[in-house]
Amino acid sequence: MRESCVIFRRELKSYFFSPIAYVFGVLFLGVLLFGAAMGSLVDGTSASMQAFFGWLPVVLLGFVPALTMRSWAEERKMGTIELLMTFPVRVSSLVTGKFLAAVVYLGFVLVLTLGLPLTLGAYGRLDWPPVIGAYVASLLFAGSFVAVGMFFSSLTRDQIIAMLISLVVLAVLFAIGVPVLVALLVDWMPAWGVDLITGISPYKYFQSIARGALDTRDIVYFACFCGFFLYCNALVLHYRRHKG
Amino acid sequence: MNRPDSERGAVLAITAHVVLLLVVLGQIVYLASRHRVRLDLTSDQLSSTTGSTRTILDKLDKRLVIEAYFSPKDKLPVNLRETREVLDNFLDELTQIGKGKVVVQRFDPNEDKAISDRCTRIGVQPLDLRSQSSTSLSVDRHWQGLRFVYGGNKQKVLAQVAPQYWAAAEVQLTPAIKEVATESKRKIGYMEWPATAIGQQAPGGIGWNVLRTHDQIAKRFEFQNYKDDDGALLPADLETLFLYRPKDLTDRQKYVLDQFVLRGGTLVVFADAAEYAIGPNRQFTKLPLQLDAAGSGRHFADQLLSYGIDWKQKVLADMASEAQQPRDRLTMPFEYLAVPQMTPFGQQLTPVGYPYFFHAMALDWSSAADQLSRRDGKVDKELAESYRKQFGPGIPTDDFLFKVFKQIGRGPGFYWPTWVGLRERAGVADLPEGVTGRVLMRSSPAVLAEDPPAMLDPLGRGDARTQMANLQKFQQKLVERFGSEPRQQAPLMVDVRGTFASFFAGAERPRRPSEIKEEEARKAAEAKQAAEADAGAAAAADAPKPDEVGPPAPQETDSSIPKAAPEAEALAAAERPGRIVVIGDSDFIRDDLVRGDYRQAGGPWSALGPAFFAQLLDWLAEDRDLLELQSRVPVDRKLKFVATDSIAGGDPRLAEQTLRNKTAWLRWLNVLLPVGMLAVFGLLVLLVRRAQKQSFLASLPS
Repeated sequence: MRESCVIFRRELKSYFFSPIAYVFGVLFLGVLLFGAAMGSLVDGTSASMQAFFGWLPVVLLGFVPALTMRSWAEERKMGTIELLMTFPVRVSSLVTGKFLAAVVYLGFVLVLTLGLPLTLGAYGRLDWPPVIGAYVASLLFAGSFVAVGMFFSSLTRDQIIAMLISLVVLAVLFAIGVPVLVALLVDWMPAWGVDLITGISPYKYFQSIARGALDTRDIVYFACFCGFFLYCNALVLHYRRHKG
Repeated sequence: MNRPDSERGAVLAITAHVVLLLVVLGQIVYLASRHRVRLDLTSDQLSSTTGSTRTILDKLDKRLVIEAYFSPKDKLPVNLRETREVLDNFLDELTQIGKGKVVVQRFDPNEDKAISDRCTRIGVQPLDLRSQSSTSLSVDRHWQGLRFVYGGNKQKVLAQVAPQYWAAAEVQLTPAIKEVATESKRKIGYMEWPATAIGQQAPGGIGWNVLRTHDQIAKRFEFQNYKDDDGALLPADLETLFLYRPKDLTDRQKYVLDQFVLRGGTLVVFADAAEYAIGPNRQFTKLPLQLDAAGSGRHFADQLLSYGIDWKQKVLADMASEAQQPRDRLTMPFEYLAVPQMTPFGQQLTPVGYPYFFHAMALDWSSAADQLSRRDGKVDKELAESYRKQFGPGIPTDDFLFKVFKQIGRGPGFYWPTWVGLRERAGVADLPEGVTGRVLMRSSPAVLAEDPPAMLDPLGRGDARTQMANLQKFQQKLVERFGSEPRQQAPLMVDVRGTFASFFAGAERPRRPSEIKEEEARKAAEAKQAAEADAGAAAAADAPKPDEVGPPAPQETDSSIPKAAPEAEALAAAERPGRIVVIGDSDFIRDDLVRGDYRQAGGPWSALGPAFFAQLLDWLAEDRDLLELQSRVPVDRKLKFVATDSIAGGDPRLAEQTLRNKTAWLRWLNVLLPVGMLAVFGLLVLLVRRAQKQSFLASLPS
């Protein structure tokens, strides 16, 4: 745990000291809030964060791979991974520390969006509990994307390749949770196959919580999803460490 | 040679790890989805389905296929796009809750002509929206309809569905599912005595046909008329009988009702003490109404009294203004009287109080005892105490029957209602042994009871001003009466149940008309035979006697005499517990008031009557499936950027501009402020870092 904390602090610092993280953060906030403000802040409509949480997964899809691409790929490219592997630190602590740092950074960026619900609450009767639930869901959703991004970053030393692979995989994972796109599968796939595929998508579970219902199934799913990719990430690093 | 082998082994081990982990995690997720704990975070529970939908889906024993005829979402206009989102989510939810019993199939009618033809055939309707530019006019056809197919044969179509939010989707879809999944309709018998129609609007009188045949009701309940001229006993399988505005009841009909209740039936009486016709100018004229038929030896009111129900045939007027008019006139439907009046904006209908039309309030009137017992500014403590004991709530809103009315705080509107309460002795309910009962609806304690007056016309003839003056005189008389009469609260609805004793116990069973006819015919035939026999005997005495050979000649019978079928033994005591519900008004479900025939003229209009009737049906059937759904009312969460007061009365263009400016300002503030904050924070961090770096470099020996 202590080892994870050390790694976590180190990684978090690197996020806050990196100009790229700010550039992406500003872009992320700009795009997300512009789309959300145009959709939500309309006189006479219901005070709801639906537009914001509708936009968020799409924006995260572009933002998270850019954020996570450097997590391992850069270490490998700079040669610091070898040094890191020689530390008396367990691989799982390394992975957990990096993962938590990325999630906390995303959480920080999400906190900056709280102005929107505050505005909605000031001019209408915003229902706060589901908004808080949806923020939690957003963090879980972002966490699942971070886990995927980190895993693909561990497979290659090229950040751009890591980002592209993550982007493609995340886009597929996202798409298989979108009902309109799933409808396309219906024609050439049995119903159970469609159910199985849609069951993998984090987007489906995100939507479920964002609607205002906190479901143990969704939380278990996110825990398992992140756990799986973080475990795979650790396996890759283990393999590398043993391989020398 | 060893190295590749060990590498292969490691890869294999990793692969095995991953596969095993996938299997384990997959199982965990599967188990978690089977044993879910769900917490609805919305404060008004609007973002999740109610227990109603779950109960109805749980009860499905066949497959429910929901065919969604949806044109592509991205081509929908923006206002419809949100509704599609809601619908999609709700359909997903139904699939999840349905646990395999609900299947959603999506079709795009714009893509395939065959599908759009099918839509037309089954009743799904397109929404044609025109878009116009300076050079062209185009019509875009959008589809958003549903067909529910249950068990392969029963179906229900929602031609167009556009729910704005989750709860609205549930309100539309869940009753449709219930309707299509209802295997057998519940049978309800009725006997009716329609109100006399003025000006021949309705040949045969004004009954309650509109609600009986209403699509939502008729799909779940089957109504059958049992008003039989011959007074046959009601069939054993009939559970519920509605008596709509009973009048001219014969002893035989009363006996039929008595035996029905003794055999365990539920009798629901929509009672009226008087019949008032509504004339073309809204004149209310009393028409003759005799509860008991001519020649009837037993009174129906006495019959009800023997079961524990006290029906005082009085007409009630509630003097409490909140009982006559809704407090929130803007959002509540106005059900009673309005008088046309000239205003600066033209002729408008002004609601006026008419104490003979009122509703029960969701108030506990015992808490108003002090206020009501105030004499010369002081509270009469003794009187207040007696009022506290005497008065009760207008409607018990936590009761299944009234939950729908909880939000609006009042019951359905009643028109010239009558007093129906429990039998009392010395102010305490005095019910027969084995019978329990309760009052379900009460007026306010400001009620006046009287024998039905011949005229209850508050407006009279003439122009609006004359009508208003007449009304004031009419009200003044009632106010004077009110001042001189003691405070009382009138019961408006009772429910008694238990093992009733027969009203006809120890007396001869009233015979059916056919039996009486048969008896009369038999007597006439016997008399005729006797006369013939006498004549024959006289002739035989004169004539020689022939030898008697063969069997005796058969007696001649008169085939014109009707043969009454034998009927069940009369019961003196209940076979099973029965139930009697008496509602002190029948007008709230009568056709002209439900349809709103007088709405344009200023009422009366039974706006809440249909909702109460529908709820009554579910209450009688103990069908609570839709209760949660019906008692849920969404909170208004509309955004209001500019206060109405600040723009009202001003230039509309200026108001529009103010709103536009405020919206734009809020939008940019929400976008630029966080972005700017992050950028400034980042810049500061970088500057600090640069300064640190420079000071570090400066500290190094050159």
